[in-house]
Amino acid sequence: MIELINVSKAYGSDELSVPVLKDVCLSIPKGDFIAIMGPSGSGKSTLLNIIGCLDSLDAGVYQLGRQRVDLLDEDELTQLRLRHMGFVFQMFNLIPRFNALRNVELPMIYAGMQPQQRIQKAVAALSRVGLQDRLNHIPAKLSGGQQQRVAIARALVNDPDIIIADEPTGSLDTKTGHEIMKLFQTLNRHGKTIVMVTHEDNIAAYAQRVAHMRDGVITDIVRH
Amino acid sequence: MLLAHVRDIYFQAVWALRDNLMRTLLSILGIFIGIIAVMAVGTVTQTVHNFVFTELASYGLQTIWIYRQHEAPNPYSTVRTGSGITNLDLEQIQKGCCPAVARVSPEVYYQDWSQLFRFGNRYNNVILEGVDGVFFDISRDEFTIGRNFRDEDIDNRRNVAIIGSEVHKTLIGEHQNPVGKSIRFGEQKFIVVGVLKRKNRDFLASIGAAEDYDVNNKIYIPYTVHQQMLASKDIHQLLIESRSVAETQNAVDQVVELLQRRNNNHFQYKWDTMESWNTKANNILSNISLLGLVAAFVSLLVGGVGIMNIMTTSVVERTREIGIRKAIGATQNDIRLQFILEAVVISTLGGSFGLGVGYILSIVAQHMLQIPLQPPWMIIIAAFLVSIGVGLASGYYPAKRAARLKPVEALRHD
Repeated sequence: MIELINVSKAYGSDELSVPVLKDVCLSIPKGDFIAIMGPSGSGKSTLLNIIGCLDSLDAGVYQLGRQRVDLLDEDELTQLRLRHMGFVFQMFNLIPRFNALRNVELPMIYAGMQPQQRIQKAVAALSRVGLQDRLNHIPAKLSGGQQQRVAIARALVNDPDIIIADEPTGSLDTKTGHEIMKLFQTLNRHGKTIVMVTHEDNIAAYAQRVAHMRDGVITDIVRH
Repeated sequence: MLLAHVRDIYFQAVWALRDNLMRTLLSILGIFIGIIAVMAVGTVTQTVHNFVFTELASYGLQTIWIYRQHEAPNPYSTVRTGSGITNLDLEQIQKGCCPAVARVSPEVYYQDWSQLFRFGNRYNNVILEGVDGVFFDISRDEFTIGRNFRDEDIDNRRNVAIIGSEVHKTLIGEHQNPVGKSIRFGEQKFIVVGVLKRKNRDFLASIGAAEDYDVNNKIYIPYTVHQQMLASKDIHQLLIESRSVAETQNAVDQVVELLQRRNNNHFQYKWDTMESWNTKANNILSNISLLGLVAAFVSLLVGGVGIMNIMTTSVVERTREIGIRKAIGATQNDIRLQFILEAVVISTLGGSFGLGVGYILSIVAQHMLQIPLQPPWMIIIAAFLVSIGVGLASGYYPAKRAARLKPVEALRHD
């Protein structure tokens, strides 16, 4: 479903440009759960952002289903994110003033859904992650694990095909981290494709495959 | 974009404003003050305007004064003395020789204005003027007590007098009915037949359209009597009413032509028209109003700059939030709309509060000052629309910046 062919990306201006990705090729089939690992500066976050349609590529081809993502403009990328991607970040990235319900409702507002339907789906999504009695809590009143669950509910609410997770356990204690990973495994079993960046081996162990990166290149891919 | 979607984004904007209440209120205040300023300036100038035109209209807008131009005699003429207007000229105009003239009255007076009058043992300096009954019709005078001159008063040279309200007060005494009383001027004795209602001349005096004396401190007698006292047939000034405001210049031309022809081109004439004072007043007041309104609208613009300032700060502060919104599916249009709506809501609230408070203030001021205030609603509605426009304009640039943020970079912001 995701096909990256010779993808390159550099940051900075012409002469001072630093290559971050060098001719990366990666194929992610539907239903895959892949972890990307590597030291900082290896390009794993940039690769994840490109797969998540948050960032553009300088060269190469990105095929998502039947679509050539590398040829799309910003608003078309936004539509792809809206319809096909759910995001889970290390810092949760919830809107601080909004309670759990409002945070989860937000993607559906941008999808143009009716208010009635939005509330129903938001409550359902929060129940699925075990937060049915925390609907009116703002992020500051929730624990790290609970905030990440709100973020996962928000990522799931538009029923995306792909979950993009950037160090989802990076701000959580070990126990909570494993709980979140079990949630990911369940989602994966229900058919969600998951692309996750992590630097912890025991977190990467939950994935079906682990890709190792160094200096902008994928060095090897290990199947569990 | 669907209306329902605009409504959803609108609520996002309102929530954002509510979450930053202090900042929102301060930027509302800028527009609020701007609207209040426009209302205040507009109401004051409009009220003064009406006040002035009521005063001008009280003298009759078709009024013309024609008199000899003493300082520029005809250089080819041998005749130097005389007022240039005689009883025979007056008769010709009264007969209808000048079709644009509706009514005419003669004015006869001393060259040194003020005269000493006596009532009982009280003395006072007043201005004496000889006129006929038509004079009070043309100058829109009303009688508080007594009557106007009759034809027989004029024709039979009766020693009767009509007095101004100030004369009533200072010479005779406010609580006495002066009608039938006699007042003395030198050896002459005049019986008072009428008292005039008080007239306002504040504005005319302030632009130099009135002499230094008080128009209410005058005594009028039949011009025939005054001519007898002066031993001359001269008329010093004609008070004329044209058939309409549009015919004013025709009336002037016809009368001046008649006077020059009948006096063998010995004299040149000058004239004043109420219409020209009216135009002059209009120009002065319009310029003043314009200046005031420009200043008030500038304060509205300053309010707009305030909104722009706050919105720009807000975009920088909320960069991460914008990144989150974009990541989860907000388009550039969604982001732009939200920030523009925030600015428009601020300016609309400021404008509405300004209108409401301004309206209440105008009612309070009206009660306190006892003056009917006239808020110029057209200008105020325009100012309200301008304030919304200012909101749109000042929200546009920050909104554009927010919409153009790259999601990856915005998310990295802290």
